[in-house]
Amino acid sequence: MNRFAQVWRTSTVRLTATFIAIFIVFAILLMAFIGWQSSVQIQRQQTDDIDREIRQFQRIETNQGIRALAFAVNRLSSQPGPGIYFLGDAAGLYLLGNVTDVPAEVVINPGVYSFDYERPNPLGDDVVEEGRPPRQREGIAVVRSIELDNGMRLVVGRDVVERRGYSAIILQSFMVGVVGIVLFSLIAGGITARRVLRRIDTIQQTSTKIMSGNLSERVPVTRRNDEFDALATNLNAMLDRIEQLLQGLKEVTDNVAHDLKTPLTRLRNQAEAALRDTASVETREQALENVIAESDRLIQTFNALLMIARVEAGAPSGALSEINISEIVADVAELYGPVAEDEGIAVETRIAEGVTLKANRELIGQAMVNLLENAMKYARPEDGKSGRIDVSLSNEGDRVCISVADNGPGIPDADRKRVLERFVRLEKSRSEPGSGLGLSLVNAVARLHGGTFRIEDNAPGVRAVLEFPAR
Amino acid sequence: MKILLIEDDREAASYLVQALDEAGHVTHHAADGETGYAMASGMDYDVLIVDRMLPRRDGLSIVESLRAEDDKTPVLILSALGEVDDRVTGLRAGGDDYLTKPYAFTELLARVEVLARRSSPAEAATSYTVGGLSLDRLSRKVERDGENILLQPREFRLLEYLMKNAGKVVTRTMLLENVWDYHFDPQTNVIDVHMSRLRSKIDKGHANPLLHTVRGAGYMIRE
Repeated sequence: MNRFAQVWRTSTVRLTATFIAIFIVFAILLMAFIGWQSSVQIQRQQTDDIDREIRQFQRIETNQGIRALAFAVNRLSSQPGPGIYFLGDAAGLYLLGNVTDVPAEVVINPGVYSFDYERPNPLGDDVVEEGRPPRQREGIAVVRSIELDNGMRLVVGRDVVERRGYSAIILQSFMVGVVGIVLFSLIAGGITARRVLRRIDTIQQTSTKIMSGNLSERVPVTRRNDEFDALATNLNAMLDRIEQLLQGLKEVTDNVAHDLKTPLTRLRNQAEAALRDTASVETREQALENVIAESDRLIQTFNALLMIARVEAGAPSGALSEINISEIVADVAELYGPVAEDEGIAVETRIAEGVTLKANRELIGQAMVNLLENAMKYARPEDGKSGRIDVSLSNEGDRVCISVADNGPGIPDADRKRVLERFVRLEKSRSEPGSGLGLSLVNAVARLHGGTFRIEDNAPGVRAVLEFPAR
Repeated sequence: MKILLIEDDREAASYLVQALDEAGHVTHHAADGETGYAMASGMDYDVLIVDRMLPRRDGLSIVESLRAEDDKTPVLILSALGEVDDRVTGLRAGGDDYLTKPYAFTELLARVEVLARRSSPAEAATSYTVGGLSLDRLSRKVERDGENILLQPREFRLLEYLMKNAGKVVTRTMLLENVWDYHFDPQTNVIDVHMSRLRSKIDKGHANPLLHTVRGAGYMIRE
C-alpha cells in the first residue's frame, strides 16, 4: 500500500492518469461525432431512397396505369428488407402493401412522418424461419406519404430499427475502445512510472551516499542520452566542482598553516628582539622596521589569497565590461619596461592593437603584473647571455592570446602544472621573494574569463600563455 | 587642518587622532554613524575620514547624505573591503578617495593632505611652477631654468601629478592609482624606477634637486 501511495505521488503516474482521462473524454467526443454523422448520413440516404422510389411509382402510375403500380407495390412489399409500402384508396383505406396500421392522419395528409407500428411481415431475417407464425415486431417507420393523380394514397418508407441497431453497435465499440484505452494507458503508464522511478531511485541512492560523506560517488549515466542522462551529467559535473573546491579548500588551509605561520613566527621574533633589554636604539629601530616590512608582506599574501578566493568563487559583482585589452598589456609592459632594463633584461612587445575583450580591467592588469614580475625573476639565462622577455598579444580569430616568455632556466615538465597551485614555489625559487600565489591568481583570472592559462616550454625558458575566447 | 574621523574601532581611532595631531592637524572623532553624520553636517571640516562599516549608520550613507545636501567636503573612505567593486561603490557614493585596511599611517596622511588641497582652486590651473621648473598642461612643455626638457607621455603625467601636489608627500600607490590608473600593489619597486628616470631628467646637472624621496612614505616635489 505504501508502495502504491508512493507510486501515486510520482508525477509520472499522475500525468498518466490525467492523460487517460483526457483520452476518454476525447474518445467519447469522437465516437459521438462519428455516430451522429453516420446517422445523419444514413437518414439522408434513406430519405433519398424513399424519394427515388416515390418518383418511380409515380412514373409507373403515369405511364403504365394503376395496375402496373399495384403490381410494383406488391412486388416490393413482398421483398425482405426495411422497405415500407402502403397503397390506399382516396379515403386512405388499406388496399395493398406490407403495412396495414399506418395512422389515417399520415395517409390523408401528404408529408414526411415518423411513427411506431406493428410490422406484420417482419424483416427478412425472420421470414425464412418456416413453421412458425410470422412474429409481430415493434417498428419505427420513417415515411413519405403522397396523393397520386387519381386520388389514391401512397406511403413509402423505411423501417429504422436497423438504424437504432447501428447506434447500439457504435456504443458497444465505443465501450470496448474506452476499456482498451484505459487498460493500455494503465499498462504504459505503469511501465513508464516504474522506469522513471527506478532511475530517480539511483540518483537518490547516489546522493544519499554522497551526503553520508563519500564524495567520490557519481550518478551513473546511461547511453540513452535522455533528460535523465543530462541531469546525471550535470549533477556529476557539479559534484566534480564541489570535490575540487573542497580539495582546494583543504590545500589552502594546509598551505595557510605553513606559509602564514612562518612569517608570523618571524614577525614575533622581530618584536621580541626589539623588546630585549640589551637591544640598542638602532637594533630596536631596525627590528621595528623589520616588523613593519614583515607585516606588509603578510598583508600582501593575505590580499592575494583573498583575491584568488573571490575570483575563483565566480565573477565579482562588478561584472565584466568591454575593455581594450591591448591597452592593458601595453600599459603593464611599459610599467615594467624600465625596471627590467635596470636589471639588464630587455622587454620586447608584439601587441596587436585595438583588441577588446569582455573582462575585468583590474584583474587582467594584476594578472599581467604577476606574469611580468614572475618572468623578471627568472629571465636570467644560465649561459650568461642577457635576459629577454617577450610580451605578445594576438587575436587569432576566436581566441585572444596573451603570452609572456622569458629565456631563463625554465621549469621542468613535471612541475609545469604544479606551479599554478597556491603557495607552490619550486626549490630554485625558494630564495627569491614571493608568496607563491602569483600564478595561482593568473590561473583563477583566466578561468573567471572563461579562458585558460598554461605554462609552455620556451626552449630555453618559460612561456606563460593566457588564452581567452573572443566572442 | 580640521579633520573629522568617523571610526568605531576605539584603538585605531585613538592612534589616528594622536598621529594626525602630531602631524599638525586638529582631529575630532565620532564613534558611530549617527554622531558622525551630525558632526559632519554641523561643523566645517577640511577633510572627513569615514570608516565604511559603522554602528547605527554605515559610512557610505553618510557620504551620500552629505553629497545630497551639497556638502563638498573631501571624504576619504576607509574599508576592510578592498575589491575593485567595493572601491567603485565607495567612490560612486561620493567618496573622493578610498583606502583599504590595513594601511600605513604615512599613506593615510599623504592622501588626507592631498585631498584637502583638492578643495582649493589650484586644481584648475593650466600651469605649475616649482622653483625653476615649470610645466604647461596645455602645450605639454616642461622647462627647467628656461631649458626645455623632453618627457615621455607617462613621465609628463607623473610630473604633472607631483607638481599639482607640490610640497605634499605622494605615495607610490597614489602614483600608481593616479598616473597609471591601476589599484593593485606591485611587488617590485616599479614606481621607484620610473621616479629615478624622471629625476635624472629634471634634476641632473642642477645643484638643488626638486624631486625628493621621503623615506618610508613616498615622494615630494618642492623647492
